[in-house]
Amino acid sequence: MGIWESSMEYVLGIDIGSSFAKAVLLKGETILSYAVKPSGGNYSETARTVSSAVIEKAGISDADIAHTIATGYGAAAVDGADRTVSDIVCHAAGVRHSFPSARTVLDIGSQFCRAIKIDDNGRVSNFLQNEKCASGSGKFLQVIARILHMNVEDIGALSLESKNPVKFTTGCAVFAESEAVSRIAEGASPADILAGVHAAMSAKIANLTTRLGLSEGCAVTGGAAKDSGLVRELEAELNLRVLVPREPQITAALGAALLSKATKLE
Amino acid sequence: MPAMKSSQTKRYFAGVDIGSTMTKVVIAGGDAETSLIGPTGPEHRKLAHRVMEEALTRAGIAFGEVNYVVATGYGRINVPFADRTITEITCHAKGLSSLLPSARTVVDIGGQDSKGIRVENGKVVDFVMNDKCAAGTGRFLEIIADALSVPLNQLGELSLAADKPAVIGNMCTVFAEHEVISQLAGGEPVPNLIAGIHNAIAGRIVALVKKLKIEPDVAITGGGAKNIGLVKALEAKFGCPVLVPREPLLTGALGAALIGQQMYESAEKTGKKLATKQRTLGEASFYS
Repeated sequence: MGIWESSMEYVLGIDIGSSFAKAVLLKGETILSYAVKPSGGNYSETARTVSSAVIEKAGISDADIAHTIATGYGAAAVDGADRTVSDIVCHAAGVRHSFPSARTVLDIGSQFCRAIKIDDNGRVSNFLQNEKCASGSGKFLQVIARILHMNVEDIGALSLESKNPVKFTTGCAVFAESEAVSRIAEGASPADILAGVHAAMSAKIANLTTRLGLSEGCAVTGGAAKDSGLVRELEAELNLRVLVPREPQITAALGAALLSKATKLE
Repeated sequence: MPAMKSSQTKRYFAGVDIGSTMTKVVIAGGDAETSLIGPTGPEHRKLAHRVMEEALTRAGIAFGEVNYVVATGYGRINVPFADRTITEITCHAKGLSSLLPSARTVVDIGGQDSKGIRVENGKVVDFVMNDKCAAGTGRFLEIIADALSVPLNQLGELSLAADKPAVIGNMCTVFAEHEVISQLAGGEPVPNLIAGIHNAIAGRIVALVKKLKIEPDVAITGGGAKNIGLVKALEAKFGCPVLVPREPLLTGALGAALIGQQMYESAEKTGKKLATKQRTLGEASFYS
């Protein structure tokens, strides 16, 4: 009876990332609602805002929530969480929900990019992350979007129009910013700049992936997975088709919510 | 007309250093040295002739009076009127040795790179360089100054008021900026943050330079040397006092001018005359 009963409970997963906070509300394995808000400086406050948003959307009340699981960079700041879980484990769980066949996850967040290996049971068997350098992270996209005066969301579509991608001589996001400014002054189009950035990022991410060992069934998660140009470049670099969840940014929050069930079963 | 006569015997040598961030010109010779410093900007291909023009005006001479022009720095190939290009490492070694002859190890902290150079008799013996990552370069300081809304040239002075330097865990400029902003929001005083940043950069630079055999005296040049807080942090990490030239930004341009002079004069001794470009100023035309 435990399994059935717990699966009908309302469960909340909250992922406080370095740039965005995400919440997913589950009933059983069904997503009732989700929300994404900028993390801001006060993570506790943001956690409350993002939870209220999903609870309101679903038309339930705080008291209906059976479990809250927190994850991400600011997980410790989520008041009232039953427990916190590593976001690597959450990413794996979230991806398994969307793509049971996936064995490699590339999570491209705003500060981290990482490659995660999942075994046949959905467990994390190994991972590598780059947390020392912004070169393969979403921050790189944010930096370039700023100098091009555009929204990060519009990068993907525009980059696909590139005919002659700029070749960046650097992998450093800071130096790439100045290099982009020079190339723009020389007449390079924004599309070509963006395609060049995608190539530079993909090279870094692919390097991480190769070091980990790429397994069949590769999913890309995190906010940067919404960038279709980056995804296409990654596919070219890795020479395979990748899987992208419908809402890649909420993968860890979804995984967190799903993991509440796993604890019940233990 | 004695004035006329003496001007005929004067010789001028120009060094043009187009760095990633700042462009510097030194005209050596005559009665005094003339120098000019300005931002490089994104269109440095169109810039060299303009700064040269201004430097000549300042020196009060015509371009035709300049005997030899050496260009150096990251943008040296974009100086169409240069008689010769020489790498900034060689020029820094030369310029610094002329100013501080006792220096054996030169640390150049530029806008987009940092270097360690081992020098003997004004010549380069060995060098190491980081131009792959913004950590440990002037760009790092610029970004942090911006994030803290402090003018770049006040970072040094402000950091001296730190009572307890903050610990900055991130090496990446992008992440360190984020870290500084969160620590600031958490109430960390600005001087402590700046001092923490100086320690982080100094640690990075000393780790780079240690790949060389460090020998005293150690001298710091480039824009980073104008930051007293960073210089003190470097002294602490090197464990010895460091020397700083009076105008550290000009070291490369001065070296270029001096090398030009040396080449010109040694050619002259053997009765040869070095080939020079036509003395006209215009923007680089090979790029369109």
